[in-house]
Amino acid sequence: MNTALLEARCLVKRFGGVTAVSGATLAVGEGQILGLIGPNGSGKSTMVNLLTGETVPDEGEIVFAGEVVTRLPSYRRARLGMARSFQMLRLFGSLTVEDNLVLAGHIRMSAGVIGSALNSQSARSEEAAARTRARELLSWFELEEFASRSVTALSIGQQRMVEIARGLMSEPSMLVLDEPAAGLSPPNVDRLILLVRRLRDEFGISILLVEHVMRVVRELCDQVVVLDAGRKIAEGTPEQVVNDPLVIEAYIGSGWKRRAQA
Amino acid sequence: MKMSICALPVIAGLAIAPLGLGGYELSVLMTILFYVILTLGLDLVTGYCGQFSFATGAFYGIGAYTAAIMSRDLGTSIWWHLPAGALVAGSFGLLLGIPALRLTGHFLAIVTIAFQTIMYLAISQWTSFTGGQVGLHVESAGKLAVFGTTLFELGSLRSYYWLTLGVTTVCVLAAWRLVNSRLGKEWVAIRDDETLASAIGLNTTRGKLTAFVAYAALAGIAGVLTAHSLRGVTPDDFTIWISATVVAMMMLGGRGTFIGPIIGAVVLAIVPEFLGRYAEYKMLIYGTILVIGMTLVPEGVIGRLRRSASR
Repeated sequence: MNTALLEARCLVKRFGGVTAVSGATLAVGEGQILGLIGPNGSGKSTMVNLLTGETVPDEGEIVFAGEVVTRLPSYRRARLGMARSFQMLRLFGSLTVEDNLVLAGHIRMSAGVIGSALNSQSARSEEAAARTRARELLSWFELEEFASRSVTALSIGQQRMVEIARGLMSEPSMLVLDEPAAGLSPPNVDRLILLVRRLRDEFGISILLVEHVMRVVRELCDQVVVLDAGRKIAEGTPEQVVNDPLVIEAYIGSGWKRRAQA
Repeated sequence: MKMSICALPVIAGLAIAPLGLGGYELSVLMTILFYVILTLGLDLVTGYCGQFSFATGAFYGIGAYTAAIMSRDLGTSIWWHLPAGALVAGSFGLLLGIPALRLTGHFLAIVTIAFQTIMYLAISQWTSFTGGQVGLHVESAGKLAVFGTTLFELGSLRSYYWLTLGVTTVCVLAAWRLVNSRLGKEWVAIRDDETLASAIGLNTTRGKLTAFVAYAALAGIAGVLTAHSLRGVTPDDFTIWISATVVAMMMLGGRGTFIGPIIGAVVLAIVPEFLGRYAEYKMLIYGTILVIGMTLVPEGVIGRLRRSASR
């Protein structure tokens, strides 16, 4: 495996008496698509929140792009090249599709806040460049006709695409996709699979994919980490993990062998 | 652009108003302009950035007392007091912004009420520095001269009015620039979804703190103007009632709509003048307007108009 771009070591996160993540470890290599799966309540979402900086772990260490980011807020991780999508769609509903993208391009602008308030030449040209990039991305996603529409006018599938396009605005090295196939129709799931593969192959982006839809995991992931009750219970290729007895037990319960024999 | 064309005749009309108005009307107009600056500031932090504050009166007072104390101890003119008032109030704004990094909603509102109360106690009790309950007299001075020719000198009521109008215009333009800049858009992003704002790389710490500083600095400027116009300051001019009034003005007009809070300030600042001897009940009236307004049009009058226009 190549060197790890994102590495989490022995993460622990407790919420009161509940330990949502207890000692989970994972690593996403450069140019790798790593799947993160597990039954409901296994700690996937907490894990994503820890990795992206929404919450801070109680124990453990996170290293991203060569820096320890364990306690860095998410905007600092975004600046280091991490972008994400959300399980529950998250877009600025009061803004147009294009403005949602331009806002995400702010971190690549160098003109300061003062320059922007004074409407300086460099601030204006950067703003124009961000708009051009937003338009390019939208056309890449075949969404250019919606650029000046409100995001609320789009279907769930289109909004997911806008979320991913937004992630690309900051030219990230790493994309965290939190259940991107949730709520998508089968043809849209096919499109998503093609798209994510192209993101890795053409843009060289490493991807952490949290997903319930096994078809997506099977077709995309190089490596899969399985969580159960906040612990990593298996790791391997998609084929390996779906045949792992521990994984089967986590998903369908411990009685499966007995019931299968009966 | 459209708005600036509408604003020009208003400013021109206000500029020639002293030629046809008496002293009473001019002082009412000045009070309105003070409230316009205060409400404009609160709209930046609450309407655009989504952070509640009931401490407008405190920052207003900090600006006013900065002017009064500088005038007493240094004998400086208003040209020094305006930037100093903005700076001192802005620094306290930064201080109040720090709890806003951790608290939201009601909890933040309570901290701002506490700040307001502490500020009031400080200026009313620290007699040796602030003059206590009696307040301070302000020896108002301000003169603009180019090559020995006096262009403008503070003295008559008209001169105070024109200065206030000029400064208010500058404040409105600056606030307009701010809300349409990158920073203003980041404020709105923080207001709408802070988690998302941070996830796309926006520095939410900087966003909140700058909003608090801009808000406090504007209130400080209004305080300096008030201290000079009234030629004095007393603690009771800067109570939590001022803060509540400014909240009512912003909410009624429509937070985050820019023009709405300005209209709200104008309307609610005029109301007491028509109440005559019932003016002492104005807080009762503001309170009623606020409760009814929040129930029927939570987004404010201008907010509601915009929403129905966009349909």
